[in-house]
Amino acid sequence: MHLLWQSLRQSIPLILHGNPTLLSVIWFTVQVAAIATACAAVIGLPIALAIGLGRFHGRRTLQMFANASMGLPPVIVGLVLFLMFVPQGPLGAMHLNVTRRGVFLAQTVLALPYVVALTAAAIQGLPPGLISQARLLGAGRVQLSTLALREARIGVMAAIIAALGTTLSEVGAIIIVGGNVYGYDQTLASAALFEANAAHYANAVAIGIVLSGLILILMGGVGLLQHQGDGLRLRFRPAE
Amino acid sequence: MTAVDPDPETLVGCDQLTVRRGDREVVRDVTFELRAGEILAVLGPNGAGKSTLLDAVAGALPVAAGRVSRRGRVAVALQSPDLARRSVLANVVLALSWWGVPRSERRNRALEALRLISAEHLATRAAGTLSGGERRRVHLARTIALRPDVLMLDEPFAGLDAEVRATLLEDAVSAIRSAARATLIVVHDRAEAWALADRLLILIDGELVAAGAPRELLEQPPSPTVARFLGYDGALDDPGETLLTRPAHVALDRAGPLTARVTRAVPLEDGMRLELQLERGKLYTVAPIPSPVVGDQVRVRLLGGVRFPHPTPEAEHDQSGWTATTP
Repeated sequence: MHLLWQSLRQSIPLILHGNPTLLSVIWFTVQVAAIATACAAVIGLPIALAIGLGRFHGRRTLQMFANASMGLPPVIVGLVLFLMFVPQGPLGAMHLNVTRRGVFLAQTVLALPYVVALTAAAIQGLPPGLISQARLLGAGRVQLSTLALREARIGVMAAIIAALGTTLSEVGAIIIVGGNVYGYDQTLASAALFEANAAHYANAVAIGIVLSGLILILMGGVGLLQHQGDGLRLRFRPAE
Repeated sequence: MTAVDPDPETLVGCDQLTVRRGDREVVRDVTFELRAGEILAVLGPNGAGKSTLLDAVAGALPVAAGRVSRRGRVAVALQSPDLARRSVLANVVLALSWWGVPRSERRNRALEALRLISAEHLATRAAGTLSGGERRRVHLARTIALRPDVLMLDEPFAGLDAEVRATLLEDAVSAIRSAARATLIVVHDRAEAWALADRLLILIDGELVAAGAPRELLEQPPSPTVARFLGYDGALDDPGETLLTRPAHVALDRAGPLTARVTRAVPLEDGMRLELQLERGKLYTVAPIPSPVVGDQVRVRLLGGVRFPHPTPEAEHDQSGWTATTP
């Protein structure tokens, strides 16, 4: 309790001081969250639509895979990606280990299952007559997709929020793939771990407070969008 | 009477259509045609295969045997009126966009359809705030707005209370009818069929057991099964034949030639429904209140009914309706 209190007290001036390294870490964290969530949405929404609306073989298997992938330990995902990115690995030519692009990619991979599984479930939860009626009246693929995403918007936003949450607070994959390089590819979460490992508890707590605030702001903002969806005419751009 | 009838008025033809769901033949050997300007109602008890027939005729289900021909564009309104979570007008406009109507025409056509079905006042309401009857109204409006050549409606009045249904029926009759359009409506309530249909198909256990004008079918049902389905609930055995009656055919009359005993009395809105036990069978009638009570002896006069010869042993299998009527 004593150490926590002490760290908390010392962390406040650190935050108020506005350390430039901290600012760059915040900025990188926001970038990672935004880019990875956006990429996961761009890749994941069409897959979710295919699962939710399509009638192809292997649809169930794909959905089960997406559902199961939500529970994948990020460390394992990071490790697999790292091993693929090493120079001798299958994707070695891309030189992604210990790069910011590598971090973006790892976070996209982690966010993707949330977008796919939760959006597909939301689409499947729509009243059954809605989609079939549209199909019967001649709606094309694009029209059906728009209809499904619009109608399932609360669930779609929940999927985006879940993806955003993962990308903001995940550390395992970032550390393995990105290397947790001070001043280069640290996010708030991985920086907090870095500082804690170095026994700079006040720094770690300061970062933790900033990260929690950022999560509250970003998730709260997206949550607001979710509930004002009816008035705002959302077009399903991932929140930034 | 085949599906390949060259009659240019025929928009939908169905020739010996059989439809399977899994291993089960849900619709068997159904033949009919649907002409422009006509409203055809498919009537049958629950599980008779009506919706399956409609799906197959609309092309939404594969045909196991026989043939279906369609001319022009077909709009099908499913039984559940699931609307998008938008305004009523937006929902109708949306349907027009699915149908491929140019953007500039959608709004006017949507408003016109809503007006036709007396739902114009709902235009700005959010679909989520509508009552069951209003949802059905909007659901109908969005298919009418498409101005299809063939309109197929699956139980458009299901689940509505009597009053709401009556007003919607009145509005629907005028909104649906058009000289160029053929309409196929699946109903399971006889009152809806009488109000809407020019012609009636009666489907029981997947088979087309009767077809014709509603009044004709009601007055001259072709078989005991059809008669019973159309409300012929009374039966009197005569040598070699059976007389089936509707409640309106049976009158209590002090000078009547038949003697009966009241065995059951159920109050209705407009009187008392009486079950009358006779030596040769059971009759039902509706008597004004005060009516005789259970146990009373009454005199009965018959005002009508249809006679069917007793089934021969071989035919008994087809006319299973009989077993229930003999006391």
